Amino acid sequence: MASSSTNKFVLKSNDDVSFEVTEAVAREFQVIAHIIDDDCAKKAIPLSNVTGEILSKMIEYGKKHIEEAPVDEEDEEGKKKLQIWDEEFMKQFNMEIVFQLILASNYLNNKGLLDLTCCTVADHIKDMTPDEVRTLFNVKNDYTTEEEEEIRKENSWAFE
Amino acid sequence: MSSSTEQSPEPTPNPKPSLPDDLLVSGIARVSRLYYPTLSIVSKSFRSLIASPELYKVRSSLGHTESCVYMCLRFEPDLTPCWYTLSRKPKPCGYVLAAIKAPRSPCAHLLAGLVSTGSDIYNIGHKFSNKGTSRVSILDCRSHTWREAPSMTVKRSNPAVNVVDGKIYVAGGCRDDTKWMEVFDPKTQAWEVVSRPGGGGENWGIHVSKSAAFDKKVYMFGNRNDSLAYKPKEGTLENVGWNVELNWRWHSNCVIENVLYSFHQGKFLWYDSKVMVWRRVNGVEYSTKSFRVCMADYGGKMAVFSAMPPDGNRMKAIWCAVIALERRTKKNIWGKVEWHDAVLTVSDSCILEYALSATV
Repeated sequence: MASSSTNKFVLKSNDDVSFEVTEAVAREFQVIAHIIDDDCAKKAIPLSNVTGEILSKMIEYGKKHIEEAPVDEEDEEGKKKLQIWDEEFMKQFNMEIVFQLILASNYLNNKGLLDLTCCTVADHIKDMTPDEVRTLFNVKNDYTTEEEEEIRKENSWAFE
Repeated sequence: MSSSTEQSPEPTPNPKPSLPDDLLVSGIARVSRLYYPTLSIVSKSFRSLIASPELYKVRSSLGHTESCVYMCLRFEPDLTPCWYTLSRKPKPCGYVLAAIKAPRSPCAHLLAGLVSTGSDIYNIGHKFSNKGTSRVSILDCRSHTWREAPSMTVKRSNPAVNVVDGKIYVAGGCRDDTKWMEVFDPKTQAWEVVSRPGGGGENWGIHVSKSAAFDKKVYMFGNRNDSLAYKPKEGTLENVGWNVELNWRWHSNCVIENVLYSFHQGKFLWYDSKVMVWRRVNGVEYSTKSFRVCMADYGGKMAVFSAMPPDGNRMKAIWCAVIALERRTKKNIWGKVEWHDAVLTVSDSCILEYALSATV
């Protein structure tokens, strides 16, 4: 009998990279779980918003969280182990990849990975100057010259 | 010239993915409020995101609320209070008092009794007028905007304001003794006069020189040497011994976890209803040349603000210390200065009016 650990699905990225995963791993992503439930999962599930590079990392995360899932709510040691793995996992990425992981985990609806990647960004922007934040988020300074002057006057500490 | 710009290597258009607002909010919600003043300088859209209800919805759904310290300063002879919040600054990293830019409410310029519940700071009555006012304004510490709250039942000048179980008890500052105290329930948004129990001194309506709330009681001291504690739950008033009053400076005190702390002659002292004697906080190395300090409960720690003597340019630095507190035995509280930093430079005319914290 097919179970979620033996049943396999193929996830296909927008640059045509295919990954065969167990149903349990596929179900880590809510959107894919819905596709499976709706019985729309034929051969390969195409994911139009995710590249192969990002998808492979998401599957790695999903697998780990299936394999090493804490036994229950009280399994503090299990939770701690997974948390340490999460931290190590995120260390390998630059912010560009982290942003792509945020977009993809939001798109495929994996709350755990979305939370983790958002925390990584939050941690990264601490102690950044406004200019550094602008560069990171690709945001334009849209204050007028007068407003900018006032801001500099009132918040001189930010421009030392 | 256009030709020269063409020759210089133009950076390729940024291929970096940018995050839509809802995901940006998810990220910013996980950042401590200490960093928000810096983030609001980034752009207009960041500034409005940081004051947006959506952001605070996400923060509370994540259980990510924190204690934020606010400082009220005044520049003599101006009576208008100026508000600041304790923040982090980048490069060189450190702490700073960042000015908050809150559009004024009609009466927010009247400095008065200040108290906070949740994310709101209440400004009640009027400090600098004998006539007083019944008006109440609220600073929403999430959006940094002022709004008006329902007025009190009577005009009060420099009243004592305290919070017990989420309700605000306002006493003194009016001539009508029957209205010696009234209470505001933020849930129902209504004021109610507290009927006066027997016991205690006469003429309580007039003046309360200092007050604090701990152990679910409002402790008040009048200028006729009356010292009373009002228990809202029982609706009773009891006389309090002189012990409490002894080392309690009206200008330098705060309550943290049901313990009243006071700064007196260079020392931190504490009092609570279990030990009922003023004792010194052990282990704190803290020195200031300032007679007056402002203290606030900073999430169970103590934030202490003091001003240095002015320099040759008549400017002075405001310093902040955060002191972690630990009660090791019933009779011993130990303090440890976690950090001590100059957080703002101001003109000599600046008065440190009040410090308090809100949960945001």
